[in-house]
Amino acid sequence: MASTAITVGKIDAGVGRIVLRLHGSSAVFSELSSTYPLKLLSPRIEQDGVAVVYNMSYGGGLVGGDRIQLSVDIGSGASLVVLTQASRGSTKVFKTRPGARASTRNASEITEQRMTVSVADGGAIFLLPDPVTCFRAASYNQLQAFHLARGASAVLLDWVTAGRKSLGEEWSFARYYSLNEVVVEGKRVARDVMCLEEQGENAGPLERRTLCERLAPYSCYATVILWGPLVDGVVTDLEAAYRDITVFRRNAPPSLLWSLSPLVESSSSRQGRIVRVAGKETEQVKHWLADALRALEEVIGTDVYRKAFV
Amino acid sequence: MDDDTEAFVLLLLADSSLPTGSFVASAGLESYVAHGFASSAPPLHSATNFIRDSLASYARSALPFVHDAHRVVASLGSRNGTVHDSDIAQAIEHLRTLDDLYESMTLNHVARRASKTQGVALLTLYSKGFSKPSLSQFTTAQDSTQEEKHAAAMLKLVDRYKLAIRREETQGHLPTCWAVLTAALGLSLERSRFLHLFLHARSLLSASVRLNTLGPYAAQQLLLHAVRPLVQAEANNCKALRTGCIDPSPNDFNFDDTVHGPAVTWPLGEILAARHDLQHSRIFNS
Repeated sequence: MASTAITVGKIDAGVGRIVLRLHGSSAVFSELSSTYPLKLLSPRIEQDGVAVVYNMSYGGGLVGGDRIQLSVDIGSGASLVVLTQASRGSTKVFKTRPGARASTRNASEITEQRMTVSVADGGAIFLLPDPVTCFRAASYNQLQAFHLARGASAVLLDWVTAGRKSLGEEWSFARYYSLNEVVVEGKRVARDVMCLEEQGENAGPLERRTLCERLAPYSCYATVILWGPLVDGVVTDLEAAYRDITVFRRNAPPSLLWSLSPLVESSSSRQGRIVRVAGKETEQVKHWLADALRALEEVIGTDVYRKAFV
Repeated sequence: MDDDTEAFVLLLLADSSLPTGSFVASAGLESYVAHGFASSAPPLHSATNFIRDSLASYARSALPFVHDAHRVVASLGSRNGTVHDSDIAQAIEHLRTLDDLYESMTLNHVARRASKTQGVALLTLYSKGFSKPSLSQFTTAQDSTQEEKHAAAMLKLVDRYKLAIRREETQGHLPTCWAVLTAALGLSLERSRFLHLFLHARSLLSASVRLNTLGPYAAQQLLLHAVRPLVQAEANNCKALRTGCIDPSPNDFNFDDTVHGPAVTWPLGEILAARHDLQHSRIFNS
């Protein structure tokens, strides 16, 4: 990626860059920078070869018009765990910043987060954020691209909640768009695109079907993409659990539902997995995820793993 | 193509006995019923709800591929009627690019499987069922007409594409193959898109009848009164959608993934479809 000299007074807002390299047995940041409203923090941790970054935003959330652009470069053999630390367990997307007058910002604008990650051989990215909670009428785009070398690994969690239940919000945001693309050695292995938004007009005589009706009875949806040698343990566990499921005809939907599919299939092999989860409660989904991905404790260490699902 | 011919082709393609393999596909409906999602509402409502959600997500994810693949095939020979081998090779390359993208965006093994089975069935239908029979009364003049040359080129395209699928060089997904079939038959893009959605909805209704969640008369009622406005609405909603993976024509608009690209709009449908194989007993393949 070409880097340009930064002219004083023209620093782009919301831009961040992380460069991680393995020196001996420890993962060291060669670069860790960010500009408002993005904020990156790295706590000191004990695990060899592993570093943690908290992707934080000021005021505990993002507002309409915010653009975040983060680029991440992970060197050979290094593992980066990316977490978020938001109040009350989710990254908030507001229509306007709390306390600010609606007229002072472009309230109608879309909030956008873009991330590009490249991982070298033997390196790994563990993206384990809190879920995104879009408030009433908020619009959010998230575009993430992952370029993996042969032998690199990735765990990519992407989840969204129905809103603030306490305020009666249930899938009442305007738009949630999420794109995750995984390219391995130049070949695209997955392009997961989900777009949740209200349908515009009525279809003829039929009443409009709301986003809430479409996503009911669940209030949290999660997607996890798994790739590479470091996820073998997780995949083995998930395959075993999935094999054990037998669906008998039932009269009401279960409170939590999950599925497992390979990303790449040929007659001879299956590589990578995608897990999708839906739950009536966000907490339920969180517990399920924490349990399903437990084998990562051996990869990133128990202490780090616990930080992800607090 | 004149209106009469187009109407006739539409009749052929809309025939429910057409061997397209769609009668073994329920696109997740069987799993939806088994998981108890149809139990909370009266049958007409739950069938309509499923069709709406399934159709909306399918339209948003598949129509961009129908659009782009149709354009690739329809533009073949449109300059002066002659189709060179290099044009066919170029077209196959584009179809491959579209198939690759569809494969990486269809992240549910059951849907992928069903899509490939139905895709290949459509191509076979074209080469075996819609090509001109080699009977003496069908061969007229010595000099083949423009139309016959075009039909021969289309047959060549379909055969080469099928060969590429058999060699596992490409996947042959349903939206791509549907576009190839309809464009090769000369059906307009608008008709092709509309019919594709209509057939998706109709096969869901047939599946409901087979699953005994809807009676045959109720299914017809929905087909006439609900499916038409739904298909119309989705075809309209998705009019401007493209895949963005093959070069846009010069007068095309500025492509933005978040606005014009394919997307899944019903994550619950994805989960249910992927869980199809987990059912204790099932009558469909998807």
